[in-house]
Amino acid sequence: MAALGAVRCLFRSYSRVKNAQRSHQMLVRCSVRTFCSGTQDNALSDHAKPQFTDPAVQDILTRITGLDLQKVFRPIKQELKPPTYKLMTDDQLEQERFIVVREPDGILRKASWEERDRLIQTYFPKGGRKITAPLIFMEENLKRVFSQDRHTDVLDLCLVQFEPDSSEYIRLHEATYEDLNKHGKYDLLRSTRHFGGMAWYLVNARRVDGLIVDMLKRELFQDAVSLVSLFHMVHPHSESAQEAASQQATGTNLLKIYSQKESQRSGFIDLALQAYEQTAAESAAA
Amino acid sequence: MAASRQGIAKVLCRLLPSISHPVRQYQSCLHRLPARTFPGLSGFQPPRHTLYQAVSLQGAAKARYTDRPWDYLESAEYIEKYGTNPVWAGYRRNHKGGIPPQKTRKTCIRGDKICGNPCPICRDPNVIVHHQNVKLLEQFISPHTGMVYDPTQTGVCMKQQKKLNKAINTAQDHGLLPIQIPYVDFSGEDYSNSHDAVGSTPPPPSLTSGNTWYKWYSELTPDQNEVAKVKKTYKAYLN
Repeated sequence: MAALGAVRCLFRSYSRVKNAQRSHQMLVRCSVRTFCSGTQDNALSDHAKPQFTDPAVQDILTRITGLDLQKVFRPIKQELKPPTYKLMTDDQLEQERFIVVREPDGILRKASWEERDRLIQTYFPKGGRKITAPLIFMEENLKRVFSQDRHTDVLDLCLVQFEPDSSEYIRLHEATYEDLNKHGKYDLLRSTRHFGGMAWYLVNARRVDGLIVDMLKRELFQDAVSLVSLFHMVHPHSESAQEAASQQATGTNLLKIYSQKESQRSGFIDLALQAYEQTAAESAAA
Repeated sequence: MAASRQGIAKVLCRLLPSISHPVRQYQSCLHRLPARTFPGLSGFQPPRHTLYQAVSLQGAAKARYTDRPWDYLESAEYIEKYGTNPVWAGYRRNHKGGIPPQKTRKTCIRGDKICGNPCPICRDPNVIVHHQNVKLLEQFISPHTGMVYDPTQTGVCMKQQKKLNKAINTAQDHGLLPIQIPYVDFSGEDYSNSHDAVGSTPPPPSLTSGNTWYKWYSELTPDQNEVAKVKKTYKAYLN
């Protein structure tokens, strides 16, 4: 239950991605955290585009994350010591400060995001965060760590080190999700707080085939159906969404429509659906 | 008695390199000769022929493993010496009294002199503390708590312990050693993406409208009343 709470907590942080695009258009005066090239859609013409924080979206994502108690409550290596109790006073909460920089030629300017993060960490250090980023985030080390299947570690370290929605944060998350998608290692993130973010990223990038195939392989049909409904929610103008809306399809019919219209791996999805229906029919008959 | 023991030790040293390291310490204690080759002493000719042989063998081995220290932990020499035990297994510190001092010795090697009973890392010149030598570093970390063992437990000297701590931290930074990552709670945060404190400073209104930064930078015409008052005060000095 604590894990679900944790999962919910992090989902909210991803709303920044959407807010960034909107605020960049509307608020030109205040600078927005710049981020690297995204593969996400920039089509904001549809005003009803669901956000990451919408309750319906959150509900679907929590459902497909699953809850593997063995994984969530696995023993960790930690120092044996008696518990400590700390009381939070108002002084200890992070205070809002304007950080300004005086250039050598006399110009006084507001600090950039990187400078601001570094100085805040110097004067109000946060547990686990370092002033310079850990070297694990460099290219070669990332490759090695991904080959060791330690994607959760990378994402956890990224959460500790970087502010949500900073450029490094987005770059690392995208790199991790791309690697997971390429190798099909979706199960590594299941039951962790990162699964919803990955699903949201893939849905926005319209590359959910691998994830659906993985779900069907593990016989998580309800999860696959919820994922397809989420896809239709996010891309209401796509062919499969319009088809589904016209037919008022539910359950496995959604999957069929998706595999016909949108998917590149329709053969596998159809076969899996057939097998599922056969077993369902057999169990109903028996 | 001592001479015969030395003779036996010499023969054994030549035949079985596996016991060379304790024998080497014994010989070093007796003869006070350096038991390791150092770059400055490559031309040194010790009187004992067998000691020179042992020394040159180890010198060549050290040169072999400096580039890739992790190869040594796979080699037959290492397995024969240590088996599956960690490098520090079986080492016993020498100290007065029942309770060992809280800190191990400062360093085993001072200049070209190695002490008697050197610590587990200093006694084997092929064991090199390097941040990529993960197998060696893991031997000094508890598998249950993930903490580095105290030097009083492993017996390493303080200099090597400092090097070890640094290497373990670098390895964890690079991602070679697993680390337990603290949990970050995002529940109380607001996620606005823009902040008034950050960004390009808008230009001041005076510059945009074309005026000078301060009013008194440009031409000033004084108030006539004030001028008249001042003139009246200093009337006697004017003209």
